[in-house]
Amino acid sequence: MRRAGMYVLLTAIALVFVGPFLILLSAAVKPSSQAVFSFPPDVIPRPPVLDWVEEAWTVIPFPRYVLNSVIYVGAMVPLHVLVSALCAYPLARMRFRGNNLIFLAILSTMFLPGEVMLIPRFLVVSQLGMADTFAGVILPGLLSAFGIFLLRQTFAGVPREIVDAARTDGCHELRIFWHVMLPAARPTLAILGIFGFISVWNSFIWPLVVLKDSAKYPIALGIAYLAGITGTDVRTLAAGTIISIVPVIVIFMLMQRHVLEGMRGAVKG
Amino acid sequence: MPGQRWYTPYLFALPALALFGVFFVWPALTAIQLSFMEYDVVSPPEFVGLDNFVKMMGDSKFWTATLNSVLFLIGLFPLLVVAPLLLAVLVNQRLPGIRTFRMLYYLPVVTSMVAVAVAWEYVFHQQGVLNWILTGAGLLDQPIQYLLDPFWALPALILVEGWKSMGFYMMIYLAGLQTIDSSLYEAARVDGASAWHRLRRITVPLMIPYIAVAITMEMLDAMQVFTSVYVMTKGGPQDATLTLGYYIWSAAFEHYEMGYASAMGLVLWVVLIGMAMLNYRVTRGRS
Repeated sequence: MRRAGMYVLLTAIALVFVGPFLILLSAAVKPSSQAVFSFPPDVIPRPPVLDWVEEAWTVIPFPRYVLNSVIYVGAMVPLHVLVSALCAYPLARMRFRGNNLIFLAILSTMFLPGEVMLIPRFLVVSQLGMADTFAGVILPGLLSAFGIFLLRQTFAGVPREIVDAARTDGCHELRIFWHVMLPAARPTLAILGIFGFISVWNSFIWPLVVLKDSAKYPIALGIAYLAGITGTDVRTLAAGTIISIVPVIVIFMLMQRHVLEGMRGAVKG
Repeated sequence: MPGQRWYTPYLFALPALALFGVFFVWPALTAIQLSFMEYDVVSPPEFVGLDNFVKMMGDSKFWTATLNSVLFLIGLFPLLVVAPLLLAVLVNQRLPGIRTFRMLYYLPVVTSMVAVAVAWEYVFHQQGVLNWILTGAGLLDQPIQYLLDPFWALPALILVEGWKSMGFYMMIYLAGLQTIDSSLYEAARVDGASAWHRLRRITVPLMIPYIAVAITMEMLDAMQVFTSVYVMTKGGPQDATLTLGYYIWSAAFEHYEMGYASAMGLVLWVVLIGMAMLNYRVTRGRS
């Protein structure tokens, strides 16, 4: 009996978190004969139609935005992981002058909030001739304290014997990094990959600042653009928004265990 | 040691260090420099001393934005510091299917803020579900247009921001809860302690480091609110949702007052670091 009550409570709360998405979904697939808004709400589409999905796909260059987001994800996720791993390896496994300084410098980036850095970073990117380019969107996002921190922890835990054995075999550091460290860190790499995918797919502010040409917009910016077009039908906007969140929700559902464990790892440090 | 020379570690760290220099150190120095300049992107920057800071003191919009950001800070506290702790306690039970509930509560976290903002516009619609619930329950006589009402727009945005991130904070607390030895609770239960007592006497004291993390992050998040404002209200109606993040962005990229915007950014930056340090001191003193 107590348990049943618990499930009622858990489900009620779940409805609060999922409800707005369900309302959006319902608006996206309702036939035009059925009002989007009404008292009481009439959320079951009769019958569900894909007209608005089609419309959203053509009102703005949707496929272009999706392709752009795929490009950003494809470039940023592997490069971010590689840059983080390369930096984390010596921090975890080598003794050298300035290692603490480097680690502190990287950690300090967490205290430079993105919003505050927006303007000066935009000016630097402009001076480098990267305003309104893919590179301008990609490069500043490759360094993260989170990635370096998490991989440093992981590398530090790789057993000494394996590394020593590789060294006796005459492996140089790059080979050890590539053939011993990276495979040993596979679960952490997966976590960074998923988090990277989610954050790049959802990225909004930085592309908004860097890009003038809307043909280079990632999908989230495309949705904001669609929302800003006056006269966009509420169903079309709902449909566009639903399409934009499907990939990230699918990835999240498939990988949810890693995501939630990654959170735990990051907090515990 | 084969293959390792003195410069090997630096070579490994080089890409990260280069990015650090170009996209963190250089912009940070640029920000400080620009704060003392007037720069409209078209003509060359001009040194104006403390003018930007003086202007800020007399700029009523800046103070409105500051006040609104502080209201976000206060309004998000129960949503991001308190409620997620209760949620975490709730989903920390051993129940079949509990992972699914955790996942559902976390869903808004992985979705883009833009999508979340759009979804909530449907909830807040004059004939939307929120008005239906509130009028149905007799709490409202007339449906409200939340985002067009100078009084309701800010609470509405606070609700959206809190809803979006609550799952993230829940996971932080959940990580903490899983480090607590369950025998503590069993002992308390044997002694007849109520659920409220167990929360107050065991959970909260042991969770103080995690509460400190949550408070620090909540402050940083609240002071930087931007995307929800950009998509839903553009700072309106009548500056009711003008936040520091939005005002700085608008000064820089709508009015091209780069120097003034940088000066405001610098002030915000100092405030954020101050808040983080204060919080660190206070919580370290307590634990």
